[in-house]
Amino acid sequence: MKKYQVGEFEEIVMLTICILQSQAYGVSIQKEIEMRLQREASMGALHSALIRLEEKGFLKSKGGESSEGREGRPRRYYEVTALGRKALDYIRKNREQLWSAIPNVAVKAKFTSF
Amino acid sequence: MSNIEGDLLEWYSVRVGALGKRKADLKFILDVVRLFRPSVIRSFRPGYNPSFAMYRNHLTTAWRNLQRNKGFSTINVAGLTLGLVCAMLIGLWVNDEEQMNQFHLDVDRLFVVTSVEYSGDEVNGGYDTPGLLGEELPNVFPEVEYAANYGWTQHHTFAVGEKKLRIPGNFAGKDFFKIFSHPVIVGNRLNLLNTPESIVISRKMAISFFGSPEEALDKTLKFEVYKDLKITGVFEDITSHSSEQFEYIINWQLMVERNSWMKDWGNSGPTTFLKLREGADWTYVDEKMRAFLKSYSEDYSELDRLELGLQPYGDMYLHSNFKNGKISGGRIEYVNLFRLVAIFVLVLACVNFMNLSTARSMKRAKEIGVRKSVGALRTTLIVQFMMEALMFTLIAVVLALLLLNIVLPSFNLLTEKSIQSPMREPTFWLYVAIVTSLTALVSGLYPAVVISSFRPAVVLKKATSSLRSSSVVVRKSLVVFQFALSMIFVVGMIVISQQVEYLYTKNVGYMKDNLVYLPITGTVGSRFDTYKQLLKQQPGILEVTKMSHRPMGIGNSTGSVEWEGKDPHTRPTFTQVEVGMDFIKTTKAEILLGRDFIESKSDSSNFIINETAMKVMGYTDPIGMPLKLWDIEGKVVGVVKDFHFNSLHVAIAPLIIRVGKGTMWGWTLVRVDPGQLPEALKAMENMQTTFSPETPFTHQFADEEYGALYKSEQLVRQLSRYFAGLAIFISCLGLLGSVIFSAEQRTKELSIRKVLGASAVQIVSLLSNDFLKLVVLASLISFPIGYFAVEQWLGLFKYRIDISIWVFLYTGVASMVIALATVFFHALRAAIANPVDALRAE
Repeated sequence: MKKYQVGEFEEIVMLTICILQSQAYGVSIQKEIEMRLQREASMGALHSALIRLEEKGFLKSKGGESSEGREGRPRRYYEVTALGRKALDYIRKNREQLWSAIPNVAVKAKFTSF
Repeated sequence: MSNIEGDLLEWYSVRVGALGKRKADLKFILDVVRLFRPSVIRSFRPGYNPSFAMYRNHLTTAWRNLQRNKGFSTINVAGLTLGLVCAMLIGLWVNDEEQMNQFHLDVDRLFVVTSVEYSGDEVNGGYDTPGLLGEELPNVFPEVEYAANYGWTQHHTFAVGEKKLRIPGNFAGKDFFKIFSHPVIVGNRLNLLNTPESIVISRKMAISFFGSPEEALDKTLKFEVYKDLKITGVFEDITSHSSEQFEYIINWQLMVERNSWMKDWGNSGPTTFLKLREGADWTYVDEKMRAFLKSYSEDYSELDRLELGLQPYGDMYLHSNFKNGKISGGRIEYVNLFRLVAIFVLVLACVNFMNLSTARSMKRAKEIGVRKSVGALRTTLIVQFMMEALMFTLIAVVLALLLLNIVLPSFNLLTEKSIQSPMREPTFWLYVAIVTSLTALVSGLYPAVVISSFRPAVVLKKATSSLRSSSVVVRKSLVVFQFALSMIFVVGMIVISQQVEYLYTKNVGYMKDNLVYLPITGTVGSRFDTYKQLLKQQPGILEVTKMSHRPMGIGNSTGSVEWEGKDPHTRPTFTQVEVGMDFIKTTKAEILLGRDFIESKSDSSNFIINETAMKVMGYTDPIGMPLKLWDIEGKVVGVVKDFHFNSLHVAIAPLIIRVGKGTMWGWTLVRVDPGQLPEALKAMENMQTTFSPETPFTHQFADEEYGALYKSEQLVRQLSRYFAGLAIFISCLGLLGSVIFSAEQRTKELSIRKVLGASAVQIVSLLSNDFLKLVVLASLISFPIGYFAVEQWLGLFKYRIDISIWVFLYTGVASMVIALATVFFHALRAAIANPVDALRAE
């Protein structure tokens, strides 16, 4: 049974929000992802992920101030909830457990083949 | 949403600086397009919790709407109420029918023996079994725990001291009360009928003879003035949920003693009930019983045989018709028919609601517009209108329950049931809840969907009349549907009435009016000739004869008939009856050839046969031909024109009429002068006191007896009249609603027409024409369906009417007249209204 259901992109979004701390809103998140991971994140994908994560209870948001270039439209700031943190911890633990379970030889073989 | 907009704009401003306007524009468009995802556009989960206040507001709005449109609301609620009452009544009736005989313990182990008679090409199914079968079955089949024969419920005379009563009851095998669980108040259920002289009586009978059931135990009753019977027990009065009705049960042995033909395994008549042991497989027993009679009857052959079988007793009441030897339907057909009618009438009422609500919704378009503008989701609006429908339905349900309690007694009277008010039954409330929610759902869903689909911008800006032509089409189709359904009902009602009328007025082959039957009792049987002579001298008495059966119910058949030229391989079945002298003269049956039985000729072993029997025998002139029935050898002296001695459901069977010799029982048939009926009845009563002082005087009229044959048809006729009337009425309510609405919608148009010189007649015809077209269309749809349905029903009768074109013409014209009358008054009101009033209101 899956305890927390978090997709790969969703995980990235949540981690990025953690990095940005209180400065996480649509554009900043998107920029951060593109900068750090060198991958394109479309607005559509980002916003649907944000909405989904909020519905799941992993994120909460609040309206914020506007800024230059937004023509008066407010920013919406996102924050990872306690449940969201738990989900991230859970994913990480699972990953680490899997990594540690891989026999050394196999890991080496995999890496040497690079 | 606005934060996304902000994000877009922020990106744009960044990109304009970095990439130039054109590329930024393109990216902007691309971003917007890629944002078109359902989850981004709107969350499908309600983002807020609708508060109680909102629901209360829905109710308030609904209530205000109901009050503002009193006319509409009344039509709506009235239609729904009528539909619901009708559905409830039918539901109760159907439920009661299904409850029949289900009260017995282990009802799934109770069976009735069926018998299928094969004779030549003919196959006849029924419940006639040999009279000794009940005693024999448990000896032969280890699976059978108990079996008992059961006779015919008839009136017999009982006496205790000076008190004499004629009471209906029956004979049954000794294990009858071990099979059936009619509650026994006094006596031991296990040995109630153990001795040949034992009788078990009802509480009512015990009280009328002895004052109380306890007093009655072990007392003696004199049966038909000649035999003492000992009361071994008293049972509770038989409930109306039992198809077997009797006031007493006498041990079967006395029945066999009185009817020696029952000792012969080749004859059949009584019913046999049995109870299987626990765990026994009834289909196996059923299979084994088929050839059971082979070793019992000498006449048994492949061509002429009686095949026994089993039918679960619980099914017998509703499934008792046989077709080609197989059980096929019976009362269940009426039960299903009415079930369908109930659903249809309820649907009609729902359609009314749908129609009126949708029509009225145009007036509420602004409300919807405002609600949507301030953020109502479509689902919330649907919920609102469903709640409104539920409110209407609940009001209708409450009214319907009140009405139900009022009409239930008369309904019971009509259907001859004793249905109790079901208000204390939890299952009834469960059904009410289900029907209520279904009705609300069916009637509310369509209006809710239509109304909630209004676009706020359009309804708030524009006039309301241009809205949704598709809903007009739907409403028109609903009117057509209602009228089509109602017309099917009406066609059904007319044809059923005509067929029932036909059943009652058909010339049955003898004069059933002014023919009286008296049971032969006391010394009437042994001194019949004297009795007849004396009776004939009385005023008002025209002719007198006797008969072993009532002319309406001759059911005694045999295959033991021999005549010259008969094919020795066949054994056609003949019905036979014993009669007295002057039989034809008294019954006024029509004689085709030969003559009646006459005193002066020695007719004691002669026969009269009917036309069908003559054809079966292959004679063209059978007068004087020798005929042998069992061991009676005689001649055919007359051929009588076929008369009906059974119900018109079945064909007339070949009949042999013979002279009864010294019959102690049966019926005296008296033809009376209708002008002197009171004198005649008085005379018969006086004769009775002379010849049979022990027995109270009872008599029956042949035509009343005949009527009883068609009880269920009579019921269907009565009910179909009410339901067809109701259906038409509900449909007219719907039509009225539609015309009121349409007149309202077109107020301005009509006023302008009037200002420009249209006459009232033109306006009325303008409004009526639309609806008349719908009625015409409805008749075109309903007539083929109605014809087919009615043909099916008439197929149940061997003798039936043909459906005439007039039925349909009459229905069509009548519907049109009713529809016109409904439309007319409102159209007239619209036509004579002052145009200024409507136009000034701008």
